[in-house]
Amino acid sequence: MWRLPLPALLLCCSALAAPAAAAADAVRGATLYAPCAACHGAQALGNPALQAPALAGQDAGYLARQLRNFRAGTRGATDGDTAGATMRAQLAPLPDDAAIDDVAAWLASLPAPRAAAVDGALLRNGSNYYQSKCGACHGARAEGNPALFAPRLAGLDAGYLARQYRNFAAGLRGTDPADRYGRQMRLMATALPAETDLRDVLGFIASQSQQE
Amino acid sequence: MTRTIVLAFVFALAGFAAGHWYTKQGTPAREADAARVAASYEGGFRADRESAAAVGERLASGSITAVAGTPGEHEIVVADGESIQEAVKRAAPGTVIRVRPGTYHETVYIDKDAIRLVGVIEQGRRPVLDGHGKLNDAVLYSGNGIVVENFTITRYKGNGIMGQAGNNFEIRNNLIIDTGVYGIFPQLGKNGIVEHNVLSGIEDAAIYIGMSDNIHVAHNVVFENVAGIEIENSRHAIVENNHVYDNTGGILAFITPGLPIKTTSDVIIRNNFVMRNNHPNFGAPGSIVAGIPAGTGILVMAADDVVIEDNIVSDHKTAGILIVDHTNAANLTVDPESDPNPDRVAILDNVMFRNGYDTIPEVKALMLSGLQRGEPDIVRVGPGAGSCILNRARYVTVGLDDFGVCGFGNTDATVTYLLPPVPPRVIEPGERGKIAYLGICSGCHIYGGRMVGPPVQAIQALYMDDPQALADYIANPVRKRDDYPEMPPQDYLDPETRLAVAKYMLEVRN
Repeated sequence: MWRLPLPALLLCCSALAAPAAAAADAVRGATLYAPCAACHGAQALGNPALQAPALAGQDAGYLARQLRNFRAGTRGATDGDTAGATMRAQLAPLPDDAAIDDVAAWLASLPAPRAAAVDGALLRNGSNYYQSKCGACHGARAEGNPALFAPRLAGLDAGYLARQYRNFAAGLRGTDPADRYGRQMRLMATALPAETDLRDVLGFIASQSQQE
Repeated sequence: MTRTIVLAFVFALAGFAAGHWYTKQGTPAREADAARVAASYEGGFRADRESAAAVGERLASGSITAVAGTPGEHEIVVADGESIQEAVKRAAPGTVIRVRPGTYHETVYIDKDAIRLVGVIEQGRRPVLDGHGKLNDAVLYSGNGIVVENFTITRYKGNGIMGQAGNNFEIRNNLIIDTGVYGIFPQLGKNGIVEHNVLSGIEDAAIYIGMSDNIHVAHNVVFENVAGIEIENSRHAIVENNHVYDNTGGILAFITPGLPIKTTSDVIIRNNFVMRNNHPNFGAPGSIVAGIPAGTGILVMAADDVVIEDNIVSDHKTAGILIVDHTNAANLTVDPESDPNPDRVAILDNVMFRNGYDTIPEVKALMLSGLQRGEPDIVRVGPGAGSCILNRARYVTVGLDDFGVCGFGNTDATVTYLLPPVPPRVIEPGERGKIAYLGICSGCHIYGGRMVGPPVQAIQALYMDDPQALADYIANPVRKRDDYPEMPPQDYLDPETRLAVAKYMLEVRN
C-alpha cells in the first residue's frame, strides 16, 4: 500500500476538512498563543495539574471548532464542567474567527507530545476495546481522523481523556443540538462496560503516543 | 563457593521440574480409547430434523449431493462479449444459464429463484469473471435454489460469490483467485453445498459460511488466504475432505460477537488435510481476522459441539488445534448475548505432527505455568465445559486437563446435514430492512467491534436520527478511513430497501 509521510497526510486532510484553516496565519497564531501558555505550556504540551490538555499536534479543524464551541457556550457552559468553565473565561486573547483559525493552525503544526503510561492498564484488553469501540473514528493508532471530525487522542493525558469521556457520559458535554460531533461522541461514551476497561483503553491510547 | 550454591540450586530446580514432568506423564500407558467408544456421533440435529422421511431418503441414497432441486427446461446461452446480467434479467425461474468460455467484466446479481449459472468448460477453458480490480462483487444472489458452477473469478474487491439469505444453494467447481475480502460467502442461508472449489489470495475468509444452517463444505482446495474455511455463527455444518494449506489459519469454527445470530454449534470437521497454515496475517490491523495467530491449523472459538475427526494436521507453528474463548481472543470484545466459551468440543482420532514449534508468547506462558515442555499440537485457553479427547497421549496438549474421554469414536452415523429443498426464508411485511441487514450488512459490520467495516454502534453515533443520510451513503459510499477497506456501493438495492435497512441499522441494539 502507498503511504504518504504522516505529517503530509495530516496537512492535506486538515486542509481538505477545513479550507479556512489553509489560509490561516500560523506565525500570527504563535503570537496569539502567548497568554495560553500559562496553562497549556509554552510548547502546548499541556499541564495535567491544571487540567489543561495538550494542544500540540492536534487537528486544526478540531481545535478551531472547540474554541468556537467554548465561545458559543456549546462547550464548557454546563454546570459541573469546571475545567470547561475555566477555559470559557480565558477566550479574550482570541477575539474573532481569524484569531481562532490562526492559533489552531500554529498548534496543529507543533509535534504532538508523548503521554505518560497508565498505571495498571492491561494493554491487551485496552487494545481490544479501543479497536472495537473507538478506532473506527479516532483511527487505529488514536491518531484522529479529520474526515470524521474525530480528534487525535494519542498524546493527550489520561486524566483529561477520562474527564471528557465522563463528561460526555454525564451530559456535561455533547448535549447541545448545535454540537453534532459532540453528540456523536456522547452516544459512544457508554460503550465501555467497566471502569477498568476505560483505564485499559486509556493505557492503550497512551502507548500509541509512545510508539511514534 | 557461590557458584556451587547456584549450581546446586539449578540442579534442584531441574530435578523438581523433571519430577513434575514425570508425574504428569507417568500415568500407566493408556490403552487405545477407540476400542471403548464404538458409538458414533449423532449430533444435536437428528431430533429436530424436519421429517423422518427425509432421513430415510438420505440414508437410502447414502448422501444428498444436490439441494437446489431439478434443473428447469429453459436454457439461455451467453457467449463471450455478451452480458451474463442481461441473461439473468431475461431468465424466468427455473432457467439454466450456460456461460461459454470468455472474459466477462461485470457483477451478476440474481434476485430470483431457481437460476443455475453454469460455466461451459471447453478444452480446459472456462468463463472468466474479471473485476479488473475495480468491481466489488462477481456474483451476488438473494434467490433460493441458486447454482453457481464452473467459473474462474478473479480481481474483484469485495466478494467472489455472496449469498444473501438464499436457501438451497450449490456453489461448485469454481476457481476464485485474488479476489477481495471473501471468496465464497453464503450469508443467512439454509441447506447449501460448497464443493470442489479452489480459492486463493483472499484477504479475509476464502470460504465463509455466515449465519447459516445445514451446510456441506467438501473437496475444496484453499490456500494462501488469511482464513481458509470459516463456519461462523452457523449450525449443523460438515467440513470434510478439503485440502487447506498455507493460510494464516486453516479451518475455523467460531462465534463472532456482535452478529445478530448468536450461536455456532454442531460442526463436524473431518478427513481434511490441514497443513502448513503459517502464512503471515495480511488482514487489516485491528480487525478480528487480524487476530488469528499465524500457524493455526484448526481454530475453535466459542463454538459448541465441534467434532474434529480423522484430519491430518501438520506443520503449524502456533498449534495444530487451538481452542479459545472470547475473553482470551485478540481484537474482539465479549457479546453479552453470546456464550463466550467453547463447550463440548470433541477431538477424536487425528494425525498430528510438527505443530507448535514456534508458538505465541501466550501459549508459551501457559506451558511455563504448568511446567510443561514440548511443542503443542493442541492448545486450549480459557473456560469451557464438557469437552473430550480420544487417545490424548498421542499428542502434546496444553490446557486439556478437564477434557474427558469421548463417549463416541467416530461420526459415521452423520453422513450429511443436507435436506431436501427447504422452503424459502419467510420474510414478513416490514422485515425487509431486517433481512437486508442480516443478509448483507452483517457480512462486514458487527454491532460493537471491528470485523471488516466499522462497528454498527459507531455508525449509529455518526448518523443518529438521520436514516436517509445513511441510505444515501450506502448507495454511494465515500472512503473516510485509511485503514479500512473501501465500502462497496449497495446500489443494486432499490431506494426503499436502502432506507429500510438504514432505519433498521440505526435501531438495532446488538
